[in-house]
Amino acid sequence: MVLLCVELRGSGSASAAPICVHGQAGCHFLSLADLFDRVIQHSARMHSISSDLHSEFEQYVLPSRNHIGRINRHCHTATILTPNGKENAQRLAREELTEVILKLLVAWKDPLWQFHQNMVHQDDFNNFSSNKALEMSYMVHELRKGVEKVADKMQHLGMISNTLSGLSSPEALDPSSDTCGESQAMSDHDLLYCFRRDSNKVQNYLKILKCRIVPENGC
Amino acid sequence: MMWRDVGVTLILSLILPVVAQGARHTPPGKPKLTSCRSPDKETFTCWWEAGSDGGRPTTYSLFYHKENSETVYECPDYHTAGANSCFFNKNETSIWVNYNITVVATNALGNNFSDPVDVDVVYIVQPHTPENVTVGVLEDEDGPFLRVSWEPPRKADTRSGWITLIYELRVKLEEAEEWEEHRAGQQKMFNIFSLHSGGVYMVQVRCKPDHGFWSEWSTASYVKVPDYIPRERSMWILIAVFSAFIFLILTWIITLNRSSVKHCLLPPVPGPKIKGFDQQLLKKGKPEEDLLVEYLEVYVNEKQELMPEGKDLRDVGCLKSKSQSDNDSGRGSCDSHTLLMEKCGGVESKDESSYEEPELLQGQAGSWERLERGDSQVVDTPDSSDARVKTWPLVFSPSIHGSSDNHHYGTLEMPKQHSTSEITYSVPDHLFPTSTSFPHHHHPEYRDSLGEYSEYRHSRSPSTGVLYHWEAQHHPQAHSNFNIRNLERQKEATGLGLPPSRSMEYVEVQKVNQENQLVLKPLSSHGRGPSQVQFGRAVVDYSKVNGVNNDNVLLLQRQREMAEAGQYCDYREKEGAEAERYPTQQQGKTTKDGPVATQLQESTCLTTSGYVDTVPTMPTF
Repeated sequence: MVLLCVELRGSGSASAAPICVHGQAGCHFLSLADLFDRVIQHSARMHSISSDLHSEFEQYVLPSRNHIGRINRHCHTATILTPNGKENAQRLAREELTEVILKLLVAWKDPLWQFHQNMVHQDDFNNFSSNKALEMSYMVHELRKGVEKVADKMQHLGMISNTLSGLSSPEALDPSSDTCGESQAMSDHDLLYCFRRDSNKVQNYLKILKCRIVPENGC
Repeated sequence: MMWRDVGVTLILSLILPVVAQGARHTPPGKPKLTSCRSPDKETFTCWWEAGSDGGRPTTYSLFYHKENSETVYECPDYHTAGANSCFFNKNETSIWVNYNITVVATNALGNNFSDPVDVDVVYIVQPHTPENVTVGVLEDEDGPFLRVSWEPPRKADTRSGWITLIYELRVKLEEAEEWEEHRAGQQKMFNIFSLHSGGVYMVQVRCKPDHGFWSEWSTASYVKVPDYIPRERSMWILIAVFSAFIFLILTWIITLNRSSVKHCLLPPVPGPKIKGFDQQLLKKGKPEEDLLVEYLEVYVNEKQELMPEGKDLRDVGCLKSKSQSDNDSGRGSCDSHTLLMEKCGGVESKDESSYEEPELLQGQAGSWERLERGDSQVVDTPDSSDARVKTWPLVFSPSIHGSSDNHHYGTLEMPKQHSTSEITYSVPDHLFPTSTSFPHHHHPEYRDSLGEYSEYRHSRSPSTGVLYHWEAQHHPQAHSNFNIRNLERQKEATGLGLPPSRSMEYVEVQKVNQENQLVLKPLSSHGRGPSQVQFGRAVVDYSKVNGVNNDNVLLLQRQREMAEAGQYCDYREKEGAEAERYPTQQQGKTTKDGPVATQLQESTCLTTSGYVDTVPTMPTF
């Protein structure tokens, strides 16, 4: 049993006390349900920000551009196999579902940071949007850490197997090495579109996972 | 030629409508996709509206292709969702996939494509209305409240977490116009408070996925609230009872402290106070040991009650203060200036103005007048001698000008003005008490400054004892002292009003002559008893009291007749003077001087030395 005292930041709230898995003295014990709730809240906020940014982009920026070829939109995360329906998602095992979530989150870390950097130098977005982009990239990073903690807890509780240990390697999860070219070709509009969708996927997958593992309330 | 033209036009006119009618059939108009909705995020339906059909039967078909795929599929189900609709079942529905949908209208002449629409099922979710909406009335300590509960729509799978629904409900009274909306979040139950008792409420619920559209409102549920007393009204009842209670307590407290409240709100007006006036003492009327002096008061008429009996030294003080202020406080009614004025009819002499407050004797001034004018009963009316007259005023008014008791004395000068030959004094009844109190008065400690006594025969007149008759037959005796203080003050007046030739002397009442006159005789310093007081300071003239006339007026004699006083006394003594008097009388006779001071107590002879003190130099007691 490895005792982990980690700090989980969910939904932007900072908890000063470290989280201990087994409730030792001096540590603040969080149940799995609480962890899931925090993570889900965080993902919900992330998705709302992405939706706002996308709508702003379509409202203010797109008319000024003669954007064509919307059909050939390619998200750089298209290589990640994600369930496209309820049955498909329910057919996946917990570990696989968790893995998908983590893959998505990992895949979006760099592009979002790049997007933020591009936005600062462009006139398309105002300062408010650039702040949102910055917050978005930060949230992805935090959410990923949170989901990792949830996965660790589930593994400790024996709910999932230990096959996820391979996910922590950056090479396996980082799609940028494979799709670096694609991420560069993505336009801002496509990026926002793709991220909005992927954040929704993450949120949905987390909810399914939660209701499957800890179905106490809200399911 | 012309005929050919006419025929062509005729044929053309007949054929053209037919041809034209065939040309009215056109390809169909452009259809339009109106909306696509998914109730459960697992299936969805799209609807379109048709354009003009072009006069020919037109068929519509829907084609779609998924993003990043060139494969075009046609709508699998045109009928489930009704006309002009396309229903996508679960197998054909992919979430998080962009559908590009186009509707094509086709008729015999052609077809027409609608504008393509991009649809992502995730964002077109509109669930059905919540089901099993139940409303119930529950009770708690605050009153009844509504509990609304519902279930999610059957198709939406919230149990697996696939869809997260948030709910909203609205309430209103049946007759009200506006709804009251409440967000219920993800819970499936809601409480509504503050109800109108006896009202009928309508409740509706709807839901929405976290990213999607609101459902329709559920069918209204009606509920009736039973009658009850609202808490607000009971609170007012409690407040009213409490206020009434407080009010009663305040009233009770004020009633208990009625006097002090009244004292606080309506301070009492201070009543008149008499300085130095002891009402108790006045009521008792003690003439004994404190009766050192008595006023010899001259009063007006029978009806006048000038002074209360037993006025003592303190009354002197009162009189003293009389001149200083004109208010009636501190005086008896007899001393009242206004009272006297009324009774005397306001008779005043011209010289009154020179006197301060000729109060007490002012009325007596009128009496002077009366006595002068109509007193025919005065037998002996000696010529007015200034000296004699003067002495008398000096008794009562030692100083004309500045004395505080000026009033007291000043008035007595009036007889001087009127040139009465005889000054008659009416001795008030108070000084000579009634027969009832006579024994009391009969043996006073009669100590005046001279140590001499004067006694007066006193008889009550038929009238109310106002005037004293000097009659021998009654022989009630009364002793009166003269005001010592007056005597004192006479000191001041000694040099003022007296003629230099005149000297102050004590007057001795020797006897009462036949005419009921008080015979006075000036006293000499020698030949007095042990209780005599030497007064060698000033020689004063005394005027003899000749007697008291019928009006009980003290008649003063001229000085020159004083020498005869002894005769009178001798005469008197024969009549019944007591034995002890004899020696004194002999003394008086031989010396012809001032009468001998005698103990007056048992003496009935008026010839014993009784005198009117005129000397202000009387030693004080």
